[in-house]
Amino acid sequence: MSVGFIGAGQLAHALVKGFAAAGVIATHRITASSPDTDLPTVIGLRKMGAYFTTSNKETVNKSDVLFLAVKPHIIPFVLDEIGPDIEDRHLIVSCAAGVTISSIEKKLLHYRPAPKVIRCMTNTPVVVREGATVYATGTHAEVEDGKLLEQLMASVGYCTEVEEDLIDAVTGLSGSGPAYAFLAVDALADGGVKMGLPRRLAVRLGAQALLGAAKMLLESEQHPGQLKDNVASPGGATIHALHVMESGGFRSLLINAVEASCIRTRELQHLADQEKISPAAIKKTTLDKVLQQPGVTAAGVGVRTGLNLFNSSTSKHKKN
Amino acid sequence: MSVGFIGAGQLAHALVKGFMAAGMIATHRITASSPDTDLPTVIGLRKMGAYFTTSNKETANKSDVLFLAVKPHIIPFVLDEIGPDIEDRHLIVSCAAGVTISSIEKKLLQYRPAPKVIRCMTNTPVVVREGATVYATGTHAEVEDGKLLEQLMASVGYCTEVEEDLIDAVTGLSGSGPAYAFLAVDALADGGVKMGLPRRLAVRLGAQALLGAAKMLLESEQHPGQLKDNVASPGGATIHALHVMESGGFRSLLINAVEASCIRTRELQHLADQEKISPAAIKKTTLDKVLQQPGGTTAGVGVRTGLNLFNSSTSKHKKN
Repeated sequence: MSVGFIGAGQLAHALVKGFAAAGVIATHRITASSPDTDLPTVIGLRKMGAYFTTSNKETVNKSDVLFLAVKPHIIPFVLDEIGPDIEDRHLIVSCAAGVTISSIEKKLLHYRPAPKVIRCMTNTPVVVREGATVYATGTHAEVEDGKLLEQLMASVGYCTEVEEDLIDAVTGLSGSGPAYAFLAVDALADGGVKMGLPRRLAVRLGAQALLGAAKMLLESEQHPGQLKDNVASPGGATIHALHVMESGGFRSLLINAVEASCIRTRELQHLADQEKISPAAIKKTTLDKVLQQPGVTAAGVGVRTGLNLFNSSTSKHKKN
Repeated sequence: MSVGFIGAGQLAHALVKGFMAAGMIATHRITASSPDTDLPTVIGLRKMGAYFTTSNKETANKSDVLFLAVKPHIIPFVLDEIGPDIEDRHLIVSCAAGVTISSIEKKLLQYRPAPKVIRCMTNTPVVVREGATVYATGTHAEVEDGKLLEQLMASVGYCTEVEEDLIDAVTGLSGSGPAYAFLAVDALADGGVKMGLPRRLAVRLGAQALLGAAKMLLESEQHPGQLKDNVASPGGATIHALHVMESGGFRSLLINAVEASCIRTRELQHLADQEKISPAAIKKTTLDKVLQQPGGTTAGVGVRTGLNLFNSSTSKHKKN
């Protein structure tokens, strides 16, 4: 089985690194592509033994499982570009936040009668094999396809199947979650430094405390509130700290964060589905690079003002 | 080498569980004692194969490394009770927040010329072998004693030596830290549930996201701010979430928490060192149980109104 990545950025790099560390696939069976050869992640991918190319078509031809690891607004371009090269064997796994299975299937149905699509939401800690991944299977994906993806993603962290309508909420929680944690450790370290600790030790202790607590939670049947109670002894230091956090509405800020991320995800999805995306919204250099790929025409990717990219009927006539 | 625990509560239980899982010491070489036989942790300790007794003296006699795993205000009682039984071989390790090495040495010097004392601050995730521990060595503790403790504690997580004056800050950061994390996961899960996720999945994803992010931090040379930047793509869901967190002063709440916990720790230490602790402040049932122990006299533990327990000169005459 070969795995390919359309896109060679943070996500592709993190997944390849995790898969390699897990030994779930040999890196010589991994291909990644991007028009941009200057990305620092490209160097990393090459170092790990993955094959890098500027041709998305080449990635498709070399792969069985094809991860779409590009930003959401690039997805329609990519689908039009690789559509003609998709075969029955291909399993298309989209990792793009907010991009629905139905929008992907709609595009691919121009090229194949039964495209196998899975939508996936993961996060960057796959790079250290502690990711959090959920997936939903598309109309034509078989049970075995889901299980295959689950095997891959479970090698780099937690993975479970969900109904597609939950994925935006998962984006808000565990998709963005690592950023909340990085912010928290930065602030905890500031607190430690304020009280006299050297910075490196403070960062180390803050991260270690979060890691240990998270591991306790995952391995315990107990409610987080019960675990919190166990740590807060009467009149002690911890309960004093908890009080100042509650007074400042700490919990509410985290609920707000999950909500804001989820809402923005839905917003981006809505923009993609309903609105007309002007190609000017796509960074011009990226668009130029995409257009330089063999087989990609301006008409084919809908480079006309106000064209709805997910409903383009001209893509049927895209072949040069 | 035998290890003993004065105290059979959360901390003793967590350490024994961690040491056992690490294979650091056979459980038949572990003794724990407490006057209170009804603690749920006592059952856990017995189940793990540790020897439980109501006699602190018996624990002292059976051990080489002796952990003081009782609440800070109980420490002076315990020191007076076991003082006469301390031998040259004993290494006394105090885990009590805010209790200084000098206060412990001052008490023990009434019984031995060169008591070996180490002060230690750890946290509950030792139970899953991901603790965060710092220690400072006392006047008469040798380098090997420090290394021995470090070996033990490194088997259950991160462990490093520090100057004693940093320990209160460490208490505020990684001592109380797990409680901050439990609060955070509870709130993140609320956010996920608000946006449509089932509770169990939300808790799982929240904890996993924190764990993965913490592991990334610990294994990376990069600054937490850089790792945060890597996750926050332009115009995306994560940066929207980060903004609402910053708007609410998220960072400040965590600095406040570390500070509050550290300040309270110093306060408790000050109360213990400078103030006269009325025995009425000690829960009466605990005091009764201590007094029921052989060798525990009211004069010996300073049960007189207004007596400064750490400066009691009557404890020399404590033997029945």
